[in-house]
Amino acid sequence: MGLISEILGGVFAAGPIVAMIGASILGVFIGALPGLNPVMAIALLLPLTYSMEPLVALGMVAGIYNGSMYGGAIPAILLRIPGTPAAIATTFDGYPMAQKGEAARALKIACWSSAIGGVASAIALMTIGPILARATLYFGPAEYFWIAMFGMASIGVMVGSDAVKGLMAAALGLLLGTVGLDQLSGVARFTFGEVWLLSGLDLIVILVGLYALPPVISLAEASDIKGLSASDLKLEAVKVPWSEVRGLVPTWLRSSLIGIGVGILPGAGGNIAAFLSYNAAKSASDQPESFGTGNPQGVAAAECGNNSDNAASMIPALTLGIPGNVIAALVLGALLIHGLQPGPQLFHQNPGLVGGFMVQMLLTSLLILAVGGAAATRIFAQVQRLPGVLLVPMILVLMAVGVYVINGRVIDLWVMFAAGAAGYILEKINVPLAPIVLGLILGPMAEQSVRRALLISRGDPTELFTRPLSAVIALATLGLVLWPILKGLKARRRPQAQ
Amino acid sequence: MKHLAITAAVLALATPAFAEYPERAIEVTIPAPAGGGTDTSARKLATLLEEELGTSIAILNVAGGGGSVGVTQFMLQKPTGYSLLATWNSPITTVPQVQQTAYQPDSFTPIASTSETAYTLCVNPDFPADTGEAFLEELAANPGKYTYGNDGIGGTMQLAAERIFQSRGIEAVAIPFGGAGETLQNFLGGHVDIYGGSISPVLPYTETGEAKCLLVTSAAPVKALPQAAGLESLGLGDEETLLWRMVLGPAGMDADVVATLSAALEKTVNDPAYVEFLATKGEIPNVVTGAALTARVQGEYDALAKVAKALGLSQ
Amino acid sequence: MTERRQDILLGGVFAAVGSTAALMAADYPGASGIYPTALGCVVAGLGALVAIRAVLRGADGPRALVENAPRAALTLGLAALYLVLVPVLGFYLASALVVVVVPLCLGFRRPLYSLVSTGVFIGIVWLVFSVVLEKPLPAPVWLSY
Repeated sequence: MGLISEILGGVFAAGPIVAMIGASILGVFIGALPGLNPVMAIALLLPLTYSMEPLVALGMVAGIYNGSMYGGAIPAILLRIPGTPAAIATTFDGYPMAQKGEAARALKIACWSSAIGGVASAIALMTIGPILARATLYFGPAEYFWIAMFGMASIGVMVGSDAVKGLMAAALGLLLGTVGLDQLSGVARFTFGEVWLLSGLDLIVILVGLYALPPVISLAEASDIKGLSASDLKLEAVKVPWSEVRGLVPTWLRSSLIGIGVGILPGAGGNIAAFLSYNAAKSASDQPESFGTGNPQGVAAAECGNNSDNAASMIPALTLGIPGNVIAALVLGALLIHGLQPGPQLFHQNPGLVGGFMVQMLLTSLLILAVGGAAATRIFAQVQRLPGVLLVPMILVLMAVGVYVINGRVIDLWVMFAAGAAGYILEKINVPLAPIVLGLILGPMAEQSVRRALLISRGDPTELFTRPLSAVIALATLGLVLWPILKGLKARRRPQAQ
Repeated sequence: MKHLAITAAVLALATPAFAEYPERAIEVTIPAPAGGGTDTSARKLATLLEEELGTSIAILNVAGGGGSVGVTQFMLQKPTGYSLLATWNSPITTVPQVQQTAYQPDSFTPIASTSETAYTLCVNPDFPADTGEAFLEELAANPGKYTYGNDGIGGTMQLAAERIFQSRGIEAVAIPFGGAGETLQNFLGGHVDIYGGSISPVLPYTETGEAKCLLVTSAAPVKALPQAAGLESLGLGDEETLLWRMVLGPAGMDADVVATLSAALEKTVNDPAYVEFLATKGEIPNVVTGAALTARVQGEYDALAKVAKALGLSQ
Repeated sequence: MTERRQDILLGGVFAAVGSTAALMAADYPGASGIYPTALGCVVAGLGALVAIRAVLRGADGPRALVENAPRAALTLGLAALYLVLVPVLGFYLASALVVVVVPLCLGFRRPLYSLVSTGVFIGIVWLVFSVVLEKPLPAPVWLSY
């Protein structure tokens, strides 16, 4: 009892509360602007809090992290520009909904799904976190290879109408992922003697180009010089009927579990949680063909998935001292600066602080409902009232500034431009873009883990299949690939029987 | 005419800059990702340095290539004193051995080293050795049997370990990971036999008894790891390799500015708040400036060149 | 261009990119070369498949690459010009220029609206990046000393 009041006393002090609310609003904006990302914002703002108490810093991290994962959905739905890599899957159904005049409904579903995913994840962090953290240690390089393969299997939902072109795009993404210094041999691959290429192609730079430039060109082509009137926007508060909410519950449950599962594995990354959730929702649906045409289930799955990995990704950092992603590393760095030693003893030695951070992850997820639902969404909707021709250069400027500040170099702007021009053409000739990004995300993980596994087994490939855990994940991957095929066969057989 | 006016304006702006350095914000490049060991050390130091110098400090993380991407990008900066590099030793003394870099250790103006720590080699509690000497004997008796995780191929950690192994004729299998956190995860899960990396991440696990640290790569033993032998006690004192951090400027910096900066760094590094912060990470302050710093960089560069060559990693 | 021609061209480009990559990667030592070589072959193979498929049974109907070619070309050209100008004029001047000029070129004829919104927008960007975040952005050449 003493512990709980200590935790709550710490969290509900003036400083942490202001930090959480301010950071949640800020987070939504950061997520919504393509190019700005939570990692950069947290890295820039954390040092400002070094002189304050730790819960102010942690509240800020929690707010920006949770807020930005929802914020990414706003431009994904309104403009088909994902604000963060994790919001790509949100564009699949969110933008078609907006085109059907259901932007407000899509935003509301995204908002609730994000909040629910975040809350589920925070609860996992508070309850089963320490137990799960130990389990992640059984995942060695062989298992990580299969997790990457598991993620690649979700390409099935992105290839669109032309499977060959989809696979070709994925292979191109994997190939682009090999650019840079090979971590296992130190060999520079496809760098053409350019030093900046040693670190590989930056995911955010490619993403901003690939996904933001084509919509900008389309906006210019449409050449709208009037802007939408308020009534055209149809953003008045919509009611989502209770029956529909009930229909979303299984999706929320499934996506939360997937997000937590992916989030807890160090290095697996939240960008794939949304893809996996979307894939799972489509496989489970009675009408898989309605996905991609504006099915609210798709928005719910993607947004719930990308928020439910947030708090879970803190589990290995807080319980083992192993940062699973850059944000977790920043949190550990901040704890160190405040004189705390990350590791298995962290919670025992500082229960008030660690517990407080867990509560903050929960509260900031709920704050999404307040700041995301009301204020931020409405402000962003106003953006759409600007004439399209004014939006064109403004988005361009935001893309440029966001990309430039990542590494502080002009050449990144040209990489973005090239990716965008290529993306514009590819999309017009039926080559889907999402597989390229997925390949870029998962390729390095797949290659490095398989080669590490082979180094450890001294070149024996059976190790990849025979460690009990690697066999399980390999079978699950196979199942994921075969499931839609089997389902399709069954569906085809049924009408024949009749 | 216009050109002249601009030149005059620039000169008017630039001249007092040397008189009253610093008069605007300083940009510090960190060639490592946000949140890592070098990053936290530099950011904490920057907050103290801001007060000392009375100017604000903006930080730019440029990660990749084991540090060479950030360092190369930094090399193009002008030596005005408003662009500094906060790095650990690897990108300067190790990376040029294994990559074709555009820079050499003498491509910079050395300002000051800040702190240092050793790398450590740890095993799980069942490992059939309890001292540094027994550990090396076990490795020597079983060539190719044990795997050790390290911070990346051709990184300082790997070279530090191989330097010791070579002098004892040991063959162990190097498994490169993305950083100490990833190495720790694979060590705790039993996927590699030996943890090789900085002290701070593994320290809590020596307290819980899940890791047994038997060797540090410094000549002297480390207080936080009483079971680990220093290299001096094993007769390998000359093979010491440390992880240390420094602040550098572009080549050709004004001597007065360098003096201002190294004095400010000397003061802030030894600030009790910073020393205490370093202690939680298992690091100790060690400020070396001027010619001594140049000698330190060059000496380490030459010693590691031999190791890299023997490993066949040299470019 | 017909759909068939587009796909032949697309497949050809991917086949070329893939085989170039495979050839380059074949020189990389050991395991670091095997994976990219294999990937290059896969990209090339799939590209060839797309091209062959199009030759055999590609649709001959037209497929528009752009909805409005002049406007798309104009936007891309201005965007490229903007990127050229950023390191010359500095970030803020180049950005202000592009925010005024692009709508003008696309047929927007309300100068006051345009100027006011440009001012507000650049002001917000300046406030966020230069004041709050203190991020160094490209400065004009004549000021970079």
